[in-house]
Parts: sequence; structure tokens; C-alpha cells
Amino acid sequence: MSFYIIDSLAFSYNKNTSLLKNISFVIEKNQHIGLIGENGCGKTTLIKLMLGILKPQKGTILLEGQNVRDIPLSQIGCKIGYVFQNPEKQLFCPTVWEQMSFSFIYGNEIDNQDMEDRINYYLDLFELEKYKNDSPMKLSRGEKQRLALASVLSRNVDYLIMDEPTIGLDILRKKQLEKCLLTLKSEKKGFMIISHEPNFLEKYVDKLLILSSKGVEVI
Amino acid sequence: MIDLDPRTRIVIVFFISSAAIILKEIKSLLLLLTLTLAICMLLSISLKKATMRLKRLWYVFIVLALVQSIFTHGGEPLLALGGIEILTTKGLETGISIILRMSIIIYSALIILITSPMDMVYGLAAMKMPQEIGFMVLLAIKFLPLIKEEFIDSIIAVQLAGADLKRIPLGKKISLYTYILTPSVIKALRRARFISLSMECRGFRAYSTRTYYRKLNMKKGDYAIIVVTLIFLIAIVSTSW
Ligand SMILES: Nc1ncnc2c1ncn2[C@@H]1O[C@H](COP(=O)(O)OP(=O)(O)O)[C@@H](O)[C@H]1O
Ligand SMILES: [Mg+2]
Repeated sequence: MSFYIIDSLAFSYNKNTSLLKNISFVIEKNQHIGLIGENGCGKTTLIKLMLGILKPQKGTILLEGQNVRDIPLSQIGCKIGYVFQNPEKQLFCPTVWEQMSFSFIYGNEIDNQDMEDRINYYLDLFELEKYKNDSPMKLSRGEKQRLALASVLSRNVDYLIMDEPTIGLDILRKKQLEKCLLTLKSEKKGFMIISHEPNFLEKYVDKLLILSSKGVEVI
Repeated sequence: MIDLDPRTRIVIVFFISSAAIILKEIKSLLLLLTLTLAICMLLSISLKKATMRLKRLWYVFIVLALVQSIFTHGGEPLLALGGIEILTTKGLETGISIILRMSIIIYSALIILITSPMDMVYGLAAMKMPQEIGFMVLLAIKFLPLIKEEFIDSIIAVQLAGADLKRIPLGKKISLYTYILTPSVIKALRRARFISLSMECRGFRAYSTRTYYRKLNMKKGDYAIIVVTLIFLIAIVSTSW
């Protein structure tokens, strides 16, 4: 069975205009997907629908055969790691360390033993260890982005969805992100990435979804 | 749709809500409610939608009215249990008048609430209110939804980080909510600070007098509505005495 099955989805924020319509596609668990489309065409909205944050007006979204509508948000969160487009929305803890360990303490991440190792590894990878005890609010835009990435990557999820993860990252940090994507690939983990950077998409994606007002096109 | 000057709205709401507090008789309160609803309809406020949106508030009022009617004594007993009067005519009257009074105040507040906040600032400024107060009101109006939005976003983020809000024990839950509330307030405060900074960058309070791009004009309709409302109000109040 496919991981995600999205069937004739339609959504709009208000009654007069339709944002998404005719959206149908399938994602396998170990697939690496790129999602592109012009600004404001509804990419972030589509992801929010796939995660169950928003409810579709028409159509269905099945995650492992179960309608997303019927799965609690926390369970979806255990399966899927989501890097928000605006990292600030994702950071809600008083310190960087608490943000990183949150899922291990409050979520049901099972392997608590190597929690510290994992967290330290990702803090190190994104060069955030010096901010360990600082508030995430104090970080710069790029640092927030790195923290959001690190906290999602450190969790042991089945699938990753990243909404424009390269925004705000400098060249070196982009390289680190690429390294992570390669690791994910070698671990046979799937991900979906929204990005406007062609070289990112060329190298790491095996299927491209192009979103437009007409629907979605698969390449 | 009749477009009233913001000042007209402020004046009308002020008079209506004062009258709602002065009046005591159910009959006159009913008349006042009718007048308020009529004005709302004149301004094409959807009463049905507003009533639905305030659903929870009505429950509170009904409970309040029930408590009041039970604890107010006097008049004829309507319901008694073993010699103890539970509901009396006076109590019932108090309960009903509370609901009526609340309804009048809420529906009349709609007359102000449907104006854009910026219009209210213009209105207050034109009524010789210091401009700072007008903008403070504006910011306050914009601020609450901001905190709410940040809070909802954080709740979503917490759940997506794997925390099941329904299942975690109470102690952890409380600490979790404080977790979320603090950054929500901080984020909202920071946004407010940016707003004030950008207002100052555009010269807010740089000069002691301030001119406004938009000039408010009281039209004939505005005066007419004020006069008619006043006549009705005086009629209602004087008959109740
Ligand atoms: N909460 C919202 N309420 C109303 N409209 C929204 C909301 N969020 C986004 N939109 C609108 O929906 C459109 C698509 O937004 P979004 O999905 O963020 O686009 P993208 O991520 O592809 O750039 C935009 O035109 C945006 O203005
Ligand atoms: Mg987006």
C-alpha cells in the first residue's frame, strides 16, 4: 500500500476563490519528492492538508490507508517530521536544548537512551551547541531555520516534509542540509521537499510535483 | 447599507448602553432591545451570525440569570420546595432583565465592532481624544487575535512534535501549557514592539499636532439617526418613570 494517497482534493480559504483543486497523487514511503510551484499557489497549504492541520473541502487524503481526518495530530507528528516554512512557528520552548529534547520527553520517542547523543550530534552538525541554553527567540533567521531542521531531523520519524528549508541558510549550512538528505537517502527514508533551488531538486529528488491552479503535474 | 460616521456609532452606543443600565423594568428593556436590533438591522449587521458566534456567552448569561433569579427574593412565590421559596416573581424579573440588559449591551457593541478599527481611531481623534489613546485602542484591538494566533500555532507545533495533549498526565500538561503560553506572549509582544518602532519611523508623535488624510463628515443621515435614537430613548426612559 502506498504511504500517501491523495485523491481529487479541493481546498479554499474562503468561499469565493478556489486555491487547490483536482489534486491527486501518490507517495511511496521511501520516495524523494520535490514540490514546486509559484509563490502563493498553495504549496504550504497542501502540506498543511496532508498533515491534517487543515481539512479539505473535497477529496480524501489517506496516510497508510487511514484517512488523515481521523488521525490525531500527535500521531501524524510521530510518523512525519515537518519543518515549517516559518521556523518561528515551530519553536515554542524556552531554550534550544529543551526544544531539541521536547519530542523525546513529551512525545513517544522510544529510544530515550541515545537522546543526548542524537541531540548533540545534530546541534553539532548545525553549529548550534553554543546556544544550548539560549532562547530560540534570540536566534537569527538562519539559526532558527537550522534549529528547526535539527529538531526535526533528530527525531526518528518515517517521513520528512520540509517547507522551503534552504531559506535563510548560507552556503555552508546548505551543504550540511544536503549531507542530511544524503544520510536520509542512505537510511532509505523518504522525504518531500519544497524548494525553489534547481540544483537541490536535481540532486536529491526522484519525482517532481508541479502545483498550479489547474492541479498537480507529476514528472 | 447605511454607512454611518464612526462618531455617530460611538454616540449611539454610548446612549443605548447608558439607558440599558438606567432602565429597570422589563417592558422598557424590551423596547430598548427592539430599538437596538432595529438599528443593527438598519446597518445590515447579520444578527443570526452574531448570535451564533456568541453562543458560549449566552450560556454564561443564562446561568448568571438563573443564579440571580434563585437568590433574589420577594413578590409571589412561583416555585417552592418544602416551604423554601426557590423562584419568586421578583427573582424571575431580575433574571429576565439581566438577560435583556446583556443582550442590549452586546448587540449595541456590534454597532462599533463592525467598523474598521482604523475608522474608530479617526472617530476618536475627531472627538478630540488624544491621538495616543486612539492608537492604543487600535493596537489593543489588533493584539488579542495575535496572541491567540501564536498560541494556536504553538499548540499545532507541540502536537506535531509528537505530544498527545489528550493523553499526557495533568502535571505535565500544566507545565506544557506554560511552555506554550510564554513564547506566544513573547512573540506577540515582539510584534507589538516592531509595530511601535515602525510607527515611530513614520513620524508618529514627531509633531504635537497630527493631520489626517481622511476627513470625517457627519452627514444628514448621521444627525437624523442620532436624533431619532435620542427621541426613542427619551420616550422609553420617561415612560418607565
Ligand atoms: N490562513 C490563511 N487564510 C487565508 N488565506 C491564506 C491563509 N494562508 C495562506 N493563504 C493564501 O493562500 C495562498 C497560498 O498560500 P501558501 O499555501 O502559503 O502558498 P505557497 O506556500 O505556495 O507560497 C496565498 O495566496 C495566501 O495568501
Ligand atoms: Mg509556502
